[in-house]
Amino acid sequence: MLTTEDWWAVWLGLIMFFAGMLTIWGVDLVGWMAKTKTWEWSRFWDDPAWGKLLGVAHGKKGKAYEGLHPLAGLIITFLVFATLTGIGAYFQKLNVKRYLLGFTCLFFITWASWIIGHEAHFKALKTGQSITQSQVWGDDLYCLTKVHKCSALIAKATDKLGVGPVIEAGLKPDATPDEIAAAKAAAAQVLADKKVKKKTIRMSWGLQLGGGFSYILALVVGLFIGNFMKGFAAFLKEAAKPEWFIKTAIVYLGIKLGLMSMKATGFALELALAGAAATFVAYLLFWPIVYTLGRKAFRLGRDASAVLSSGISICGVSAAIATAGAIRAKPILPVAVSMLIVVFAMIELVILPTFYATVAPDQPIVNGAAMGMTVKTDGADAAAGAILDEMMVANHYRATGERWESDWILSAAILTKIWIDVFIGVWAFVLSLIWVYKVERKPGQEHVGASEIWFRFPKFVIGYFIAWFFYVGIAVWFPDAIKAASSGAKVVQSPMRKMMFMLTFAAIGVITDFSKLKGMGRLAVLYAIALFVIIAPIAYLVAWIFHHGMMPPVVTAAAG
Amino acid sequence: MKADLELRLTHDGRVWIAGNGDWQAQGASLGELDSEVRRLLRDSGTFARGRRVVVFMGFDFETIPTWLRQYHTHYFNRYVSLDL
Repeated sequence: MLTTEDWWAVWLGLIMFFAGMLTIWGVDLVGWMAKTKTWEWSRFWDDPAWGKLLGVAHGKKGKAYEGLHPLAGLIITFLVFATLTGIGAYFQKLNVKRYLLGFTCLFFITWASWIIGHEAHFKALKTGQSITQSQVWGDDLYCLTKVHKCSALIAKATDKLGVGPVIEAGLKPDATPDEIAAAKAAAAQVLADKKVKKKTIRMSWGLQLGGGFSYILALVVGLFIGNFMKGFAAFLKEAAKPEWFIKTAIVYLGIKLGLMSMKATGFALELALAGAAATFVAYLLFWPIVYTLGRKAFRLGRDASAVLSSGISICGVSAAIATAGAIRAKPILPVAVSMLIVVFAMIELVILPTFYATVAPDQPIVNGAAMGMTVKTDGADAAAGAILDEMMVANHYRATGERWESDWILSAAILTKIWIDVFIGVWAFVLSLIWVYKVERKPGQEHVGASEIWFRFPKFVIGYFIAWFFYVGIAVWFPDAIKAASSGAKVVQSPMRKMMFMLTFAAIGVITDFSKLKGMGRLAVLYAIALFVIIAPIAYLVAWIFHHGMMPPVVTAAAG
Repeated sequence: MKADLELRLTHDGRVWIAGNGDWQAQGASLGELDSEVRRLLRDSGTFARGRRVVVFMGFDFETIPTWLRQYHTHYFNRYVSLDL
């Protein structure tokens, strides 16, 4: 339990989970965590300060951190995570010195990408007023915080100044030029309010990419290192552990799902059950189709077809290794297939979020679930789900002025993937029975132990469900403690989780070397055909059958 | 299942290898490996001839490339019954 990254994801996840939970008793052990702020280039250079780029994430229970300099928060964040993951690296028998040096580089590359990605021209979304009432507010008003908070601040300032009726008059379809001019003057007054001014900005252009731009930037930087700076990539590889980082992030996401379940328990459970059902159905279709294609059309051997089918149909590298072990294949086979999977997962990660968001902008949960069943490896799936979430929430807001709650789309992508991960052990067990007792039958010789299921069980899932159900338990049995529990939980599930996502993006890029596709020949062609012609369409159909009609809750201006 | 003997199993890219420090057996396939283990056990005299011996072979996951180990932590273990 101390030597695998899977268990270490549980330990890192639960350490922070319990540390965050202490806010129930008024103790904040996580409030030092650094977080990024949305900043604007010209405002920053007028008066450069770390406080414009970074903040400290403490909640109401963490008043003690109020005076902490943001840079000190970043350094503490580095020291805490370098120490915890360094201990994990030691027990996983990694080269600790190389791990820590690599982690240090990766950490600061990640944070640099994160900060740059938060520049307002890339990240900031227009205010709701700028989308639906642009004739009065102008269409160039962007928000430097969450848009529902901006809307609430503007509404509050409007009430305080008593200019609501004037603005309403200017918004009428038959408003006179004088009424419009008066409304614009009133809006200018509102925007001059100190709090509103601090959180809004007029900009001549903005890409409105939300937090997704930081993810993409970290990925691009990682890919550049992995493909054009191979010496540096080799130096970073000891610390580039996307699966460890993402599994830890998924445990933190359990906290987020717990918090979301407090508000929408029924929807969370419906999502989990639909994900389980969809995964089960998809399994039964994917594997036999790809296996038959490999055997009949590509004339692959039994072993190669089985390993490739699991890798492409189920959950990438993990399933390829599990299947190869189950059918007693030579280890070189899953190693070769895994190289293929890692490279293709990167291609999926780059293509699919934009594709789904463009083709089906009104099916957010279906898109998320389909992503979970299509993108291989936990890291790439969570990364793709995070980009899809940011992209679809921002696109929908831009188009309608209505903001979906963040992270439900990501949760749909993660939940289907988690069920797949859980099922790997069972599937590998079934395959090993078939192989040992049927395909390569040697009566009375070899026995397959049911313990193989446990060996292959993804342990990080335990942390995920503990975190999730704990917060559901608080909501059900101790509703008075929700507010206090949320204070620490928000730190862990937001900046901490997002940092682990960012580290995942950078690390995935670093370990992806596209030149490894050379010489893969038939396997690569089969993989591409199976993925884009069979897996992706079937996954989408199955996701649609089980998830259509499900929509993320809408954020209201009053919501926190 | 209780084993009479525990061996470390690896593959060097060419053959399967099972051993315990004192001796090792090799085989191009697992079937060949089992036959070789049986022969060595029979020759060593550690177990009485005619007896059924249960051998546990645990694959040494540390022989899998480091970058791959983060995705999965187990290859396979096997229990083999050998009639000496």
